Amino acid sequence: MGLASRILETVAQPLLALAIGLAVSALLMAIYGYDPVLAYKALFTGAYGSTYDLMETLAFAVPIMLTGITFAIGVRAGLFNIGAEGQLYMGAIGAVIAGAFLSLPWPLHVLVATLAGMLFGLLWSVGPALLKVFRGVHEVISTIMFNWIAFYLATYLVLYQLAEPGRAEKTYSVLETARYGVLVEGTSLTSVLFVAIAFNIAVNVFLTQTKMGFELRMYGLNPDAARFAGISEKKVIIVSFLIGGLAAGLAGATQVLGRPPTWALYGTLGNVVRLGFEGIGVALIGRNHPIGIIIASLFVGGLRHGGRYMEIEAGIYSELVDAVTGLIIIALAVPEVFEAIKRYRLKRRVAGG
Amino acid sequence: MQPSDKNFVELRNITKVYPDGTVALRGVSLSIRYGEILGLLGENGAGKTTLMKILSGVLQPTTGELLVEGRRVRFRSPADALRHGIGMVHQHFTLVPNFTVLENIILGIERERQGLTGTLSGIDFESHVKRLEKLMEETELKVPLDAEVQKLSLGLRQRTEILKVLYRGVRLLILDEPTTFLTPLEVEELFKVLRNLKSQGKTVIFITHKIKEALEITDRIVVMRGGRVVGEVPTREASPEVLGELMVGKRMELDVLLRARKPRTEGRPVLEVRGLVVKNDLGLEAVRGVSFKVYPGEIYGIAGVEGNGQAELVEAITGLRKPESGEIVIDGVRVSVETPIDVYRMGISHIPGDRDRYGLVLEFTVKENTIIGRQWERSFTRGLALNWRSIARYAWEIIKRFNIVTPGIDAQARALSGGNRQRLVVGRELSKKPRLIVAAHPTRGLDIASTMYIRELLAEYRDKGAAVLLVSADLDEIFQLSDRIAVMYEGRIVAEMPAEKADRRQIGLLMGGYQVASQKA
Repeated sequence: MGLASRILETVAQPLLALAIGLAVSALLMAIYGYDPVLAYKALFTGAYGSTYDLMETLAFAVPIMLTGITFAIGVRAGLFNIGAEGQLYMGAIGAVIAGAFLSLPWPLHVLVATLAGMLFGLLWSVGPALLKVFRGVHEVISTIMFNWIAFYLATYLVLYQLAEPGRAEKTYSVLETARYGVLVEGTSLTSVLFVAIAFNIAVNVFLTQTKMGFELRMYGLNPDAARFAGISEKKVIIVSFLIGGLAAGLAGATQVLGRPPTWALYGTLGNVVRLGFEGIGVALIGRNHPIGIIIASLFVGGLRHGGRYMEIEAGIYSELVDAVTGLIIIALAVPEVFEAIKRYRLKRRVAGG
Repeated sequence: MQPSDKNFVELRNITKVYPDGTVALRGVSLSIRYGEILGLLGENGAGKTTLMKILSGVLQPTTGELLVEGRRVRFRSPADALRHGIGMVHQHFTLVPNFTVLENIILGIERERQGLTGTLSGIDFESHVKRLEKLMEETELKVPLDAEVQKLSLGLRQRTEILKVLYRGVRLLILDEPTTFLTPLEVEELFKVLRNLKSQGKTVIFITHKIKEALEITDRIVVMRGGRVVGEVPTREASPEVLGELMVGKRMELDVLLRARKPRTEGRPVLEVRGLVVKNDLGLEAVRGVSFKVYPGEIYGIAGVEGNGQAELVEAITGLRKPESGEIVIDGVRVSVETPIDVYRMGISHIPGDRDRYGLVLEFTVKENTIIGRQWERSFTRGLALNWRSIARYAWEIIKRFNIVTPGIDAQARALSGGNRQRLVVGRELSKKPRLIVAAHPTRGLDIASTMYIRELLAEYRDKGAAVLLVSADLDEIFQLSDRIAVMYEGRIVAEMPAEKADRRQIGLLMGGYQVASQKA
């Protein structure tokens, strides 16, 4: 295949998927009596139309480019790790504890609180990893369970242990010394964006340039050949989970340390909830590639931010907005899902002889 | 009842090309007579199973036609074949383990019988039980109907499969290697059942690679090789020698001998296997006490029809499977191999039988594939990082040295032809400067040029002093390369001899389960 046709394929395929997603969503809106053209105008100018909106879109992109990594590094190792949600809650808790209760100078405090978030996320991924490696528990089951445990544990901690006196709906806000600086005054984008992007790039370097990354990719693509080549299955699975935990923990920390105006975690976990699951769609759109995930997160972040304008300007119910943005994400993710199914069937065929 | 002369089924000029281009059948014509037990004999890859899958509606032929009782038919599914009274029991069972025997037998029938409205009303277990008991009485196929299948022995599971097919009113029963997982006693019982079925007018096709069994149970034997029918004899006129010869072929296609000039069987062996017992995935003993030695500068060839324990033997030696008992000694050191990486570190090259599954990662680039299993080696790394510059240099070296045709080192391995993929695997493995080379079916499915090239390479490394363990179902390969030949049958090495004293026909017999009295090692 020539370079030109390869570029055409990589560009044309998502564009076609996007067109289908937009068309189906337009139909849905039309059925409910809304004007799709107006709605899409509101969506896209809302997402990318001004500096302010662009900054907000980027702020939305930060956590999901990280939870996207959690899912993607699982897939690259042949796992279906959907534990980002729970690890993200724990990461946020860790960031709150270190950010609100330690007393350190800036920027050391920022660093410590960020690392605390990552550490909490990592610790929360250890459970499913060990269950998988030593007891053979499928990661889908264990991560879903750990997500729920994390939800109630985090809710308890926020309401009973970390709540700000007099403002029981949220935790103490992290101290100013633990906050990332706002990049453009009046927006909620902070310098944590660079940390997130750096993390994604680091994961890409890990995958392509290191021995361990090579082994992880090999195991994900052909576990038989990997075993044959002396690769430790246990090591690959644990490393994949731990990196995923770091990413999700960092994602949780970004919402506490790097997103005004609260600098805290809500009792409902409202400012972090769902961000873990959204990473799955982002990872699929980004073809499970760290750089692809950055690009995908800018798009999905745009939908999330711009979607709010569909409600304001086109009068569409927020539930329908969710349906529309969801449909677009699904349409974009479908090609990767097909790829995954194809790979799976091929593997079975090879295995079946 | 004697078999009649009238044809029940006729297959005319059947060819089958699989989607990946493999030609499995090259124009096969075959007739099956009423009431006979027909033996379909041949090695792996001869096309027996493919042909019978076509007859039972599992596969569709690429060209050719099928006649049942003189009328042309087309089977689109096994259900179509069943409607014409043709059913197959596959080598690997198709039962639901946590269902009872009864549930397994009526699974599928029930829906067909009752139609959509019937699905809501209950299943009439009682009438099924009554009819099944009658059938069991007639056929002497006794199975406890209310037992869970997973608790049954393999022999009983097979009876369940046969009963399942018979219960669907089958008149032509196809059995694919039915004795593979059976004990000798169970084989005897199976044969009794088959004779009984025949006496009731059923027709049976018995697929096997075991000459002895074919001679014992069949009325007529058809031998297949390389996707063709190569012979057909009434069983009472057949001799094991003739069948063995037909099965493995007379002529070598590539008849240059690549044997060592001075084969050595002295000094310290590089590989010594003592009393090795290895279980397969089903928990059955696949290797049953195997002992042999491989010396530096010789190729030790293990011949045998696949499925006689060779795969498990190789897996045990290369650390992929833990032996039950016995010893593996490499370079005088008794090894307990924990992972394949230990094997690699010991300077052993392993050329796997299934290159796409074990040898390569097809989605990886050629460059990446050249260091699989060697990614930890110092020349390819810089600390924890991979040194892609030196890897690229090394990849080009391999490509040049082993004449691999590839668009480049950054092309996916998938883009390479089968022959070039195998050259890549062989090149990678041989460039380790191994003391021991374990090669399983190293040229399977390759074109002539690649086949010759790889065999010459193995001979070259042997001449340089490496010890080579060659496992192959291809007798030509065994004869062309080996300095000593062993035959594996049902988990044991049943004969071992210097190559110049070996005789093709005799090896063919041994592979088919015939013990040649004077040749026991």
